[in-house]
Amino acid sequence: MNSSNRKFIWTILILSAALLAAGILSLSLGAISIGPLEVLTAFLGKGTSQQELILYNFRLPAIVLAILVGLGMAASGTILQGITRNELADPGILGINAGSGTAVILYITFFQTAAGSLTTMGAFILPLIAFVGALLTGALIMLLSWKKGMDSIRLILVGIGVNAGLSAIIIAQQLRLEPNDFVKAMVWLSGDLWATQWIYVGALLPWMLLLCVYTLFKAHTLNVLNLGSQVSLSLGISATRERIILLIAAAALAGLGVAAGGGIAFLGLIAPHIARRIVGPKHQRLLPAAALIGALVLVLADAIGKNLLTPTEIPAGLVVAVVSVPYFVILLMKSK
Amino acid sequence: MTSLTAKNLSIGYEERLIVEGLNVSFSKGMITSIIGPNGCGKSTILKTMARLHKAKSGAVYLDGREIHETPTKEIAKKLAVLPQSPEAPAGLTVYELVSYGRTPHQSGFSRLSPHDRKMIDWSLDVTGLSDLKDREVDELSGGQRQRAWIAMAIAQETEILMLDEPTTYLDLAHQLEVLQLLGKINQDEGRTIIMVIHDLNQAARFSHEILALKNGRIISQGTPFDVMKEDIIKGVFGIDTHIIADPRTGKPAMISYDLIK
Repeated sequence: MNSSNRKFIWTILILSAALLAAGILSLSLGAISIGPLEVLTAFLGKGTSQQELILYNFRLPAIVLAILVGLGMAASGTILQGITRNELADPGILGINAGSGTAVILYITFFQTAAGSLTTMGAFILPLIAFVGALLTGALIMLLSWKKGMDSIRLILVGIGVNAGLSAIIIAQQLRLEPNDFVKAMVWLSGDLWATQWIYVGALLPWMLLLCVYTLFKAHTLNVLNLGSQVSLSLGISATRERIILLIAAAALAGLGVAAGGGIAFLGLIAPHIARRIVGPKHQRLLPAAALIGALVLVLADAIGKNLLTPTEIPAGLVVAVVSVPYFVILLMKSK
Repeated sequence: MTSLTAKNLSIGYEERLIVEGLNVSFSKGMITSIIGPNGCGKSTILKTMARLHKAKSGAVYLDGREIHETPTKEIAKKLAVLPQSPEAPAGLTVYELVSYGRTPHQSGFSRLSPHDRKMIDWSLDVTGLSDLKDREVDELSGGQRQRAWIAMAIAQETEILMLDEPTTYLDLAHQLEVLQLLGKINQDEGRTIIMVIHDLNQAARFSHEILALKNGRIISQGTPFDVMKEDIIKGVFGIDTHIIADPRTGKPAMISYDLIK
């Protein structure tokens, strides 16, 4: 086994251990504190019924959800950076998150109030609406950037434009909402990981798994696309066709994430960035490492947001943004 | 043996037509150099015949099959094309880059077979990169980097190898290194090499056949002795030359040239 393979395996092991530790830490924190050891004993079936209720019914599904959303956002960002050959691409910057947000806001303003939609039956429709919004935005970006094939720079520029337009629509629509709905929509758009019940985990998990396996299957294609359209074609890979397929996969991953977690910005940008520095540009290694980093960052951000200013909860998406912006600035200053 | 032929090919960007009604055929097992002034359509023709660019009308045939109707992966098993100054992502190693040359022969999760590994090792060996295989491509010198890309293209195991200005941005020693490498690949493997090149003396020295173009039309096609003639070069480039037989190689060489007054 060569050194880069060994490094990759160690990276995955360390990240998995860190994710497990972050999960246990997050499980033990909250209004009712349960020590990490008690968490472990509770999972061995030796906790009190109150502890079990809190852990199984409230905290664990929230953490599993944060992991899934983090994986999805990071994988989506990695794909988008791969197909655009640009490390600034991510579902937030390309407008895919805003597309989900727009769909949700339009749904709330035209069909019912947010108060209703975020609690009862509407809660099942909301993720679907967000998902469809992401896919439609992906299709829109593709359509607008199409000019006898798909050029990566044009894709990014069009995405940034679409993002600006959709963000404007979101604000315009938000201003028309009732104050109560306005706050709810605002919190949702900042990424508050609201869908903290097993039923949502169940709805998300199979799709996430399917998309993640598919993305890993496409790892080699992403490697080749990284060499540019002409080299890809020379190697027998139709860059335009693969970019379309992968853009849909990235939009779907982000859409699922936004549906369950709200608009989490920057995660899709920084996770692949950090991963690339550790394991290099090969997607067979980059995708798993970025996904684990995305999950780890979101679990930690969620724990910080919930416990830093108790009883006020800060949406995890905002915590991610607060942590990522300095990282991003340092990165820009360091880059040549 | 694989053959590459263009019939009545018209190529253009937007409204502007660069090449009109081109008929050309490349000889098997030979090195052919395409020469001509800037904007004459050399690169465009190379790219179109390698299906990187779509023609306005006419057709390109690889082994008698129209390339735009053949699955791109099937073409990639017969024809490799190296565009001008390709860029590798940061952190990619030489070995990884060369291994991507095996793409058309792989399927599914793209694991390297023993034959894939053999071809990669051979390509690294021929290009003299075996010792550099774990280095990152963007850390190499210009000449080494170009050899790494050529290694990727030859690892593709195709009969035809097309290169767009493989010596651009290289100093003289590295230019010769790349051309000698191509000569060796042609001689040892019998692979057909078609390249766009600017230096006429290098074209004459390293190729069996030269295709001289001007304004998208073929002015002359033949051996270096057929094409490297003072009147032909004058017609193609608008320069006044003095051509002799190179005392070392016996090939035609331009020893002096000037603009026509």
